[in-house]
Amino acid sequence: MLVSPGLETRYVSRAALLGRDYRGVNFELLCEQGDEVKAGAAVMRDVRRPEIRFSAPVSGRISRIERGPRRKLISLQIEVDDSQAVAKFEPPDNNDGVSIRNFMLESGAWSSLRTRPFGNIPDPAGKPTAVFVTALDAEPLAPDTRTIIDTYLQEFRAGVTALAGINDAPLYVCHAQDHALEFEDSGRIRCVTFNGGYSAGLPGVHINALCPIGLGGGQVWHIGYQDVIALGHLLLHGKPWLQRIISLGGNAVRNPRSLAVYPGSTIGELLANEVNDGPSQILAGSSVYGRQIAPGSAYLGAGQRQVTVLVVSASDSVDKTAATNNAVIPSEALEKLILPGIFPVPLMRALQLGDAERARELGALELVEEDVMPLSGACVSHSDYASLLRDVLDRLEAAR
Amino acid sequence: MNFLLSNSGNGRQRMLQLQLLALLPVSIAALVNTGYQYLATLAQNSTLSTDDFRGRLARGLGASHESLGLFDMLAAGFAHLAPILALALLVGGFWERIISERRQTPMQPGFILVALLFTLLLPGAAAFGHVVFGMSFAMLVGRGIFGGDGKTFLNPALLGIAIVQVSFPSVADQHPLWSGLAGYAGSDAIAVYHRGGEAALSAIDIDLWSAFVGSTSGTMGTTSILAVLLGAALLMIERLIAWRLLIAQILGLLVFATLFNLLGTGAGASAMPAYWHLLLGSFAFGAVFLACDPVASACTNPGRWIQGFLIAALVVLIRVANPTHPDAVIPALLLASILAPLIDHLVIAWNIRGRARRHV
Repeated sequence: MLVSPGLETRYVSRAALLGRDYRGVNFELLCEQGDEVKAGAAVMRDVRRPEIRFSAPVSGRISRIERGPRRKLISLQIEVDDSQAVAKFEPPDNNDGVSIRNFMLESGAWSSLRTRPFGNIPDPAGKPTAVFVTALDAEPLAPDTRTIIDTYLQEFRAGVTALAGINDAPLYVCHAQDHALEFEDSGRIRCVTFNGGYSAGLPGVHINALCPIGLGGGQVWHIGYQDVIALGHLLLHGKPWLQRIISLGGNAVRNPRSLAVYPGSTIGELLANEVNDGPSQILAGSSVYGRQIAPGSAYLGAGQRQVTVLVVSASDSVDKTAATNNAVIPSEALEKLILPGIFPVPLMRALQLGDAERARELGALELVEEDVMPLSGACVSHSDYASLLRDVLDRLEAAR
Repeated sequence: MNFLLSNSGNGRQRMLQLQLLALLPVSIAALVNTGYQYLATLAQNSTLSTDDFRGRLARGLGASHESLGLFDMLAAGFAHLAPILALALLVGGFWERIISERRQTPMQPGFILVALLFTLLLPGAAAFGHVVFGMSFAMLVGRGIFGGDGKTFLNPALLGIAIVQVSFPSVADQHPLWSGLAGYAGSDAIAVYHRGGEAALSAIDIDLWSAFVGSTSGTMGTTSILAVLLGAALLMIERLIAWRLLIAQILGLLVFATLFNLLGTGAGASAMPAYWHLLLGSFAFGAVFLACDPVASACTNPGRWIQGFLIAALVVLIRVANPTHPDAVIPALLLASILAPLIDHLVIAWNIRGRARRHV
């Protein structure tokens, strides 16, 4: 079922949709625990915007619906069966914006678009100022974007062309310098090369360079290259692309490599027999922008392309004085860890104080959690700027 | 004191370890040069009295000016530096203990850095009462009331030195203190330049090399530019200090000193070339270890450029216009440090304006 030339495929027995990947969504279940679902069939939708649907990543039986405080959905877990049944979708006959939007909504592909500011799923009727396709990955040990896109070039092209059609905004395809991408419909599709350090692959950096977000209340949309391939796959073949390509890396991993896996695969099974003995920590994402996750209950998130396992040494533990003193000490090391044009230290102080208005003025609207991840690692106060930023963004969004 | 040995990633303790390590070359230079100045002056004028605490300590350690060797210099330097440092540490630790007990928080080791910086900025024969007064002021007003390490508004050591200089002007310009010899009539090198230009400097054996290595009289830690450069290199490699602020100060000094050379009266310090501004006095030490204090300087990159140029302009201006305060570094740094939040505020306001003008 999973076909990916040159890549090892790894099957797992469970996969899940995670509530935390879809910020601000109140899920309405379209199925019950124990139901058999086909891969790609809608299993949930947004209460507030019912057109937005979420489809099952794999075919199987819904084994568990995990809820947290206030019945907030944590995960919808599916036991993979052998039927390999997939939902079929009819690609639109004409390529006008409305049909493509409807097709994306119906097939669940819409849920892989994100807005900036805030990182939400965009409104189906929304009007972005620009759409960004992130077609490079500069993070350490990332899967090779170039090979993946070149393997699925037809699907990628179909996806980009369809996205360019959903509105009048320019569509930027951000790619690496050594990876030539050309599109015939050059009127609205613009290919831009990015190079540089680990941050060169962050959508925040591309948006900051091409269409920076100010205080005017507009928004841009962005989507990752694998989700574009999935959209193209739906359009060309009428059925969902049942895989994602991730890389397994880090100094605790025995054999670092790229794997083709089901979307939402359980990380515990992916890492079975892959990790060296001894204390380690698992990161969703790279060692620079990754977020630490608990082993056992973790699944691949939406858009996640890496699992990093690092050896934990005793000296990495947080010292006690730091826990009682949360002062930010500015240093040159902090300067390059955030988008150009944003002053890290004033922003960190505003985030620590929870001063949402100040953080907005200092550029918090340009950021999501991954953009401030490196600050937490470099700051002596050991503050978790990702969750501080999330609080601030939640309040800013509520005030709109 | 096990925190000095433990390695805790990129935390606060490692930052402190590196800052102390960066001060090591300066401290060694201070030991050697303070001893050298003391013994050399004694050799020139053996009628000077050495019958005080430091003199007796130096003699007791075996320092003698007759066959001047490295050991003699170290011993005499130790006799001057060690009592001041020990007292500063004691006073700092005392206040830190009281503050931490009142606040019910663990003691913060940052007072060690404050005590070392404060000591290095004092002349070799500073009065012990001044040390207690200045260090207490630094710990309480400079540090304690703001909440300790990382929350200060001014560098505590800078504030302590400033209050000592303001309260007891003799510390800054009564030169017996520098060698610890009553009746010694040496003078601040910049004041010497004020009076007689380069000829006067060479008359007391100050040339470019001796000013660079640091065998000139002055406050203990500030004379050796070479040692300051070693410390600065470490801080830059570890990216603890902002290079923009450092470069801005040096560039600013070159620009403003040259401006005064071209437009000034041609007398006194207005004729002093930029390299003498860099080499004499405590400019280099202050630029690296006080002005670049990460907490008490501007925290935005444009703000760092502005603050650096401001410091340089103030140093040159005070040196030229106020011969009674020849060194000028401490007041200039204090003023620039007080202005740093204002500079940041303006830079941020300008940044916000740019963001508000975007069309998205």
